[in-house]
Amino acid sequence: MTTAPAAQGATIEVRDLTKTFGSFTAVDQLTFTVEPGRITGFLGPNGAGKTTTLRMLLGLVHQTSGTATIDGRAYGDIDHPQSMVGSALEATNFHPGRSGRDHLRVLAAAGGLPVSRVDELLELTGIPAAARKRAGEYSMGMRQRLGLAAALLGDPRVLILDEPSNGLDPEGIRWLRGFLRHLSSQGKTILVSSHQLQEVEQTVDDVVIISNGRLVREGAVSDLRGAPTTFVRTSDPAQLAGALRVADVMSSPGSDGELVVETADLRLVGDVALRAGLPVWELRARKHDLEALFFELTEGTNRNLGDGSSAPPAPTERDAVTGQEGANA
Amino acid sequence: MMVNSIRSEFLKFFTTRLWWGLAIAMFFGGALFAVILGIVLTLEPDPEAVARGQQVVGTPLQVANSVYTAGLTIGYTLTLVIGIMQIGSEYRHKTVSSTFLSTPRRVRVMLAKVVALLGIGAIYGLISLVGSVVAGAIVLQARGADPFPGPEVLRALALSLLVLGLWALIGLGVGILIPNQVAALLIAVGVAWIIEPLAGFALGFWEFGRDHIVHFLPSQATNAIVEGVTQGGSNAAQPLSWWAAALVLAAYAAVLSAVGTWRTVRQDIS
Ligand SMILES: Nc1ncnc2c1ncn2[C@@H]1O[C@H](COP(=O)(O)OP(=O)(O)O)[C@@H](O)[C@H]1O
Ligand SMILES: [Mg+2]
Repeated sequence: MTTAPAAQGATIEVRDLTKTFGSFTAVDQLTFTVEPGRITGFLGPNGAGKTTTLRMLLGLVHQTSGTATIDGRAYGDIDHPQSMVGSALEATNFHPGRSGRDHLRVLAAAGGLPVSRVDELLELTGIPAAARKRAGEYSMGMRQRLGLAAALLGDPRVLILDEPSNGLDPEGIRWLRGFLRHLSSQGKTILVSSHQLQEVEQTVDDVVIISNGRLVREGAVSDLRGAPTTFVRTSDPAQLAGALRVADVMSSPGSDGELVVETADLRLVGDVALRAGLPVWELRARKHDLEALFFELTEGTNRNLGDGSSAPPAPTERDAVTGQEGANA
Repeated sequence: MMVNSIRSEFLKFFTTRLWWGLAIAMFFGGALFAVILGIVLTLEPDPEAVARGQQVVGTPLQVANSVYTAGLTIGYTLTLVIGIMQIGSEYRHKTVSSTFLSTPRRVRVMLAKVVALLGIGAIYGLISLVGSVVAGAIVLQARGADPFPGPEVLRALALSLLVLGLWALIGLGVGILIPNQVAALLIAVGVAWIIEPLAGFALGFWEFGRDHIVHFLPSQATNAIVEGVTQGGSNAAQPLSWWAAALVLAAYAAVLSAVGTWRTVRQDIS
């Protein structure tokens, strides 16, 4: 069942999922779908409800209402969960006195998987020697790799990773990106959460963005990006804007005296400036502004930042919980 | 499958350093107490004290049983600790998430823990008994007492194993009910060593308590199972028969594990 290519991947469906802790609604009527063969980023600022959602999907937290299924079934109803879903949660912890390899052996035993599989995965995640040390001595990056190895033990069709790049160095992040790409090319369904868009921006195909427990955007990253723009700095932005308008190119003043031009054609902007007799102090393609969009979609209304203008007021003890969570974020 | 879950539980126990530390403590605890009791119980009795009923003279069988089970208090305290840690360390180090991810049927996980703990209790019981029987037999022999007065000694030994396994289950229940492992350990040992003996002592002065409550206390029931020399004066409680006492202890273990399992199934793991 797991080896047949046709069986690779499985759809994750979340429908009206809600979780309340006392009077606080951590996840609110959340609905989204995660497709096989694609990497989906599950994004939202800290405290948005990502971990809670994933834990409900994995049967660790009981939802207040709604459903969350993988391949049509709730996690607890899956016969061999390790071969269907592999997951590494944010606070994946290891007994400090147990070696990483032994940690995997414990999990392999529970799923009836052979020990050879353990060594295979340690090899694959690049920690075969280090995994023989006691886990108490591991760096964050090492823990992430071990968590990933644990998730992949049963060669699952679906991979769910909660903040996997936390604590990874740039080299590790690049490695993870390649690794996830490789897995998704096998047709697996991959859901990766992050509180930072730029961390996963180059990795993911789709995004599900939540804020305050609610869905704010769902779709392909390419749809999110919008039209490319160019960033230009000159002595007289207003005059350049006028010259550009003549050339049929729209622009608007940026926040810091620069001009944001609605084109990807740097050469055109340079030529127009030359013809207008204006000096060009800076000219570059502006990154599609996903980061700003993400910020706009989420941070502005983040209940956890105490700026509760449009957000439901969070009780004060909630902040204490968040503060605690911040430690492992 | 159940077998896989049980194997996983055994692996959890034997892949940390705890297991050999406890094995050493079990062995030497059993040996040490056997030696001490072996010397104390073979002292010449003081005839006056016996006449006043302040000192009880045991039969050779009772003496041998007492010597060989002398380390039982240490032993069941340690299996209690094992039981608490088998679940408590999962909460403490948050490995409980991984456990329930690999086996989402939480009742099965808890059953696997119960089975594994009975096994571990028996293994550690054997280690403790090897220590106390070897050391105890040498001391009894040296002091001219009979180290093996009859086959009933074997029964006491077998029942000690049962006791050790049951205390591990009591630990499991306590470990689930008090999720803070350190608090669970302190409370459990505090109750077993201080509060319960004090309660037993205090209840001894109250006729109803002495007749109907005291022998249902876990450590009293434990002592009744292995039938040593009855200590204490005229107001000491009369112990239950060994099988009734075993049932009492099993009931503690069953109730605590069942309540613990019920809580675990309902709990959010976050
Ligand atoms: N067990 C809990 N009890 C009370 N509040 C909780 C609990 N778990 C999470 N929360 C709250 O729910 C919100 C969402 O948390 P979480 O899912 O961890 O967010 P994220 O993973 O997106 O950072 C936070 O405000 C957090 O404080
Ligand atoms: Mg989180």
